[in-house]
Amino acid sequence: MRKILLGTTAVVSAVMGAAIMAPQASAQEAPTVRIGGSFRAFYGYTQQSSQSSNTATGLPLTTGNQVQGLPPDSTAATVVGGNGVAGTAIGSSIARQGKHDISTDANIDVIVNGKLANGLTYGAQISFNTGSNGIEGRQVVGQRSSAGKTTLAVDEMYAFIAHPRFGQVRFGDEDGVMGGLMNSGWIQGFGTGGVHGSWESFVVRQAGARTTTAPGGLGDNSKIIYMTPQFFGFDFGASFAPNSNGGEDTGCPNSASSGYCDASVAFTGARNFGVLASGPDQAVRRNEYQLAARWRGNFGGVGMSVTAGYLGSGAARDMSGSGQQYRVFNNLNVWQIGAQASYLGFTFGANFSQGDFNFLWGNVLRGGRPGEQLVVGGQYSAGPFTFGANFVTGLFEGGDRTTYTEVANPAGAALGSILTPTQNRPTAVNQSTTLASQRRWGLGVGANYRIAPGMDLIAEYVYYSVREQGRDLDTNRTGIQSRGFDNVFLLGTRLAF
Amino acid sequence: MNISARPILWLGLAALLLAACSGGRQVQNDEYGTDNQRELALRMSGSNPATSGIVVFGVDRSRDTAGGGGGGPGGGGGGMTVNAYLWRATLDTLSFMPLASADPFGGVIITDWYSPPQAEAERFKATAYVIGRQLRSDGVRVQVFRQVSRNGTWVDAPASTATNSEMEDRVLARARELRSQSAGR
Repeated sequence: MRKILLGTTAVVSAVMGAAIMAPQASAQEAPTVRIGGSFRAFYGYTQQSSQSSNTATGLPLTTGNQVQGLPPDSTAATVVGGNGVAGTAIGSSIARQGKHDISTDANIDVIVNGKLANGLTYGAQISFNTGSNGIEGRQVVGQRSSAGKTTLAVDEMYAFIAHPRFGQVRFGDEDGVMGGLMNSGWIQGFGTGGVHGSWESFVVRQAGARTTTAPGGLGDNSKIIYMTPQFFGFDFGASFAPNSNGGEDTGCPNSASSGYCDASVAFTGARNFGVLASGPDQAVRRNEYQLAARWRGNFGGVGMSVTAGYLGSGAARDMSGSGQQYRVFNNLNVWQIGAQASYLGFTFGANFSQGDFNFLWGNVLRGGRPGEQLVVGGQYSAGPFTFGANFVTGLFEGGDRTTYTEVANPAGAALGSILTPTQNRPTAVNQSTTLASQRRWGLGVGANYRIAPGMDLIAEYVYYSVREQGRDLDTNRTGIQSRGFDNVFLLGTRLAF
Repeated sequence: MNISARPILWLGLAALLLAACSGGRQVQNDEYGTDNQRELALRMSGSNPATSGIVVFGVDRSRDTAGGGGGGPGGGGGGMTVNAYLWRATLDTLSFMPLASADPFGGVIITDWYSPPQAEAERFKATAYVIGRQLRSDGVRVQVFRQVSRNGTWVDAPASTATNSEMEDRVLARARELRSQSAGR
């Protein structure tokens, strides 16, 4: 019997192997339409280094391609006091930030699925989200736009057609293969996602400290995606998006060239839109393509996943008043490799990205330093409990090394204005500079307790730090504040159905 | 930049060729990453996004599928009353024998009689019970029955007790494999 059993177990192994490799037998299924959704509410206690300021920044907060919304240095501002005497403000126009907040968010999804007798599966997903999206950050949906924080917006919307032999095509507003679909090594399956989670809902975007460079941050711009079936553990994917915007229409009410227009290959002021800005997803990124190769397998019960990927794009050019076009941005050119392993409820992973990108997957101004980022994380699940921690560290393009200004009728120009680069160099010791590179690092620790299927209680703590040597990130305080940090503790619940 | 991107482009082309000529395994939607808030929350809490929610049109088939990648470590998932990993692993392990009946709600799998080609004078039948929603080592029980052919008629013969536990071990090993494959997604 033992011999027979050994023999038959060999058969079992062969059959199991074959079952994994063979296309699944199919029976036709009429399409189903499902409605699902999620809701979350968190209480957050926040300590961060920034302060409220009543100083007008002079620029809309959405236009910076770099550290955004920094108020001008109040030590240099002349103000008129109550007694009518003009004087110099010395950091007095600031107030502390409130520490307590409750943040809510919800989304509703409509999901269509069907299957044909020949094995072809098809479907669509439309996701409605209130205001912002947890991990994605607000750069995509309603980021600092004039829309209310609870306005309903469409997040993902796409259709897919999948075949056991030919793979899957997704068409619509969805993440790319490197922007979330096939990445490995991002350990975010605990809390709200740790350092890439919902803590960002509680902090003020001082020195750009809130945004993190996670896969979903690349955005759901309209694209076409192709992903192969799995061969010997490997599957591959590619995606292409013509520009950084999603949704219907081009965004151009007339032929005036603007950043909101999908069709603009050059527009005035493009130098300000390295990262996605408000309203329509406005950025200079054009012809974005993503490639990914993933391997998954099993070594003695240890589940492994490894992904190598590439992200590339062009950039819109800046146009001066005289109609000349200037190439002010580098193309996106990012390599990424990640790996993760799971065993008995433990999952560990790491991911490394390097190339021409800045902290929010934006295009780097020419001359700016390339970005590099390492993410490490681990989590453990036991029964209804999940615990985890992740850590991110990265070096990114800091302040602009070159400032482009439009100079009207400069000497030597035949007509109109031209874009003139100025090198930013400090002229004195201890002067705030914009030459530095930016170091960002953060640590997240979180735990979940599942009180019912789909419903979790969550506690999480995140620390996040931005440092840029020599650059003043909080100009209302005296001295050069070259460091900004956030501490967020959040506690709440999340329900999905 | 274009030069550095070229190897991956070739890789992509090779993948397309592979897809066209040989059969790979279809990658299910829940094997891809997602940024969707609902799907993330469901995956984290061990529920299957494909079978959650309210069906407003069409027939809800989630109750008669065998897990299909769903099912968390503690829950059955997808309307099943037994652990999806154990259920799937039991089906996989017993798939070399013809199946007589399988009840995912009661957790009972009964195979038909099967004669191994190496020993045609004996045949086996197995009954497996998957117990409970938890992925536990005592969550599955397998009973193997044996008959031998004597003068053209099948008569009952004892099967070694180790057989049952060896089958159970195989089921548990397979369940662990399935669990680790889906963990961290």
